[in-house]
Amino acid sequence: MNTLILRRHWRAFAGIAEMTPKFFLAYRAWVWLAFFSQGLSMTIFLFFWRAVYENTDQIGGLNLDQTLTYVLLAQVISLSVWTNVVSNMGHMVREGQIGVEFLRPIDFQWAQYLGGISQLAISLLLNLPLLGLALLYGAQLPTDVRVWIAFLVSLFLGYTVIFLFDWCIACLVFYTTEVWGLMVFLTGVSAFFSGVLIPLVMMPTWLQTIAAALPFSQVVFVPVGLLSGTIPLTEAPARWLTQLIWVIGLAIVSRICFQIASRKVTVQGG
Amino acid sequence: MTHYLSLYGLFLRQRFKILMEYRMNFLIGATSTIILQGASLLTITVVMSQIPHLNGWTLEAIFLIYGLITLAKSINHMFADNLWTIGGQYIRTGMFDRFLVRPVDPLFHLLADRFCHDGIGNFLVGSALVAYAWHALAIPLTVFNLIYLIVMVISGGLIFIALNLITAVSAFWVIESVPVTRAIFDNHLFAQYPLTIYPQAIGILLTWVIPYGFASFYPASYLLGQEVGLLAFLSPIVAIVLLSLSYRFWRFGLRHYAGTGS
Repeated sequence: MNTLILRRHWRAFAGIAEMTPKFFLAYRAWVWLAFFSQGLSMTIFLFFWRAVYENTDQIGGLNLDQTLTYVLLAQVISLSVWTNVVSNMGHMVREGQIGVEFLRPIDFQWAQYLGGISQLAISLLLNLPLLGLALLYGAQLPTDVRVWIAFLVSLFLGYTVIFLFDWCIACLVFYTTEVWGLMVFLTGVSAFFSGVLIPLVMMPTWLQTIAAALPFSQVVFVPVGLLSGTIPLTEAPARWLTQLIWVIGLAIVSRICFQIASRKVTVQGG
Repeated sequence: MTHYLSLYGLFLRQRFKILMEYRMNFLIGATSTIILQGASLLTITVVMSQIPHLNGWTLEAIFLIYGLITLAKSINHMFADNLWTIGGQYIRTGMFDRFLVRPVDPLFHLLADRFCHDGIGNFLVGSALVAYAWHALAIPLTVFNLIYLIVMVISGGLIFIALNLITAVSAFWVIESVPVTRAIFDNHLFAQYPLTIYPQAIGILLTWVIPYGFASFYPASYLLGQEVGLLAFLSPIVAIVLLSLSYRFWRFGLRHYAGTGS
């Protein structure tokens, strides 16, 4: 019995493992382009920050090496951390696929979440070449194993926060079917407040307060901050606790939203 | 020429009829870029507020450079966006063959087919940045300067269009040309900042190979009274040379086009 399940799982994983290189080859040009584009922005960041530090030793308590480490790692990691929950849900509602999902004997939200987590892991692995570029440009990786653990835990929790937040937003598609405008708006807000562009500690206090009230920083600034040393290791437990509170709060809200919204569902023809 | 102009007017009127059917999408499309640009501009402002200058450039001077490249980009975005979609939307579907049997230039038809309203957002952002920087830096508001600005922005737009055209021609062979176009296009991001912050090789690249520098850095330097010599006036010539080269390459590609059979 156990071996049977194990074998079945093994076959599923082997299938996925086989798919990945195929996917890579089929979209070769696009994959190279993604690397190229990201490498180009990292190059601009490198020279921009070098020019910034010509006139000063410290900004927001960070020196050039610390800032470069943070910014370059943020560029690599932030490629993987955003979910496509909202566009998926929109697609499923428009196509009528959502009805089928409701019939399945597994919890819809859990299934989507686990899919998202595995996508996160694959995407992080695929973007490893960019980590090489970041190191070449002067990013420094920690040698302390505890820092890596702190990073991975906070990345996992942060992803969960964003997944649940996006789930709440996705519930709106049951009412409007078109949330493109909202998505664009949120992309802009998250670009500024997540910490993809600068370490949030460089912002004036009032902007940092707004950033803390929004969920986006949990998935970029907190994990990348821990990995780059911008946030000291001793703060890790407090950060995890904050993330956990976000997770619990948003988990409850997202379940309620979905309960209410899914009653509203009218599949359009399908 | 007048024939083509009136034809373009007709295309534009039809396009706006479609866009007005979906007013909300029109507004969102036009404003989406404003929000995204806002994030980068706020970031630059936050960083610049903590240092006296960036390699000798003040925040307002950087806004001028950033504004000029954004204006040039918006011209390309509004009037030549179909150079992005030629592979997927026209060649793969066989729609492009339609243009070949019509009594107008196929390139004209391709560009006129879709005015892209998403570019309006960048046009507004660019105009606001240039206007603000112009005022803050007390650049004299003379007739000569205004004409200079307009000529430089149009030249910059044409440089964008020419580079996208050269790369879009690859669609005649590989169908999907977006990765190639994007790989060249993305280099304009360098030209959002003063070229002096980069190593010399990047400066040369952005001046003589992928000349986006003529859309932002050199005109801005001239307006700020920096010594850049003849390069301050070279943009229109670069644009015309590049455009005629890319049009020739387009004709060459067109002769080799055999259709996809779909």
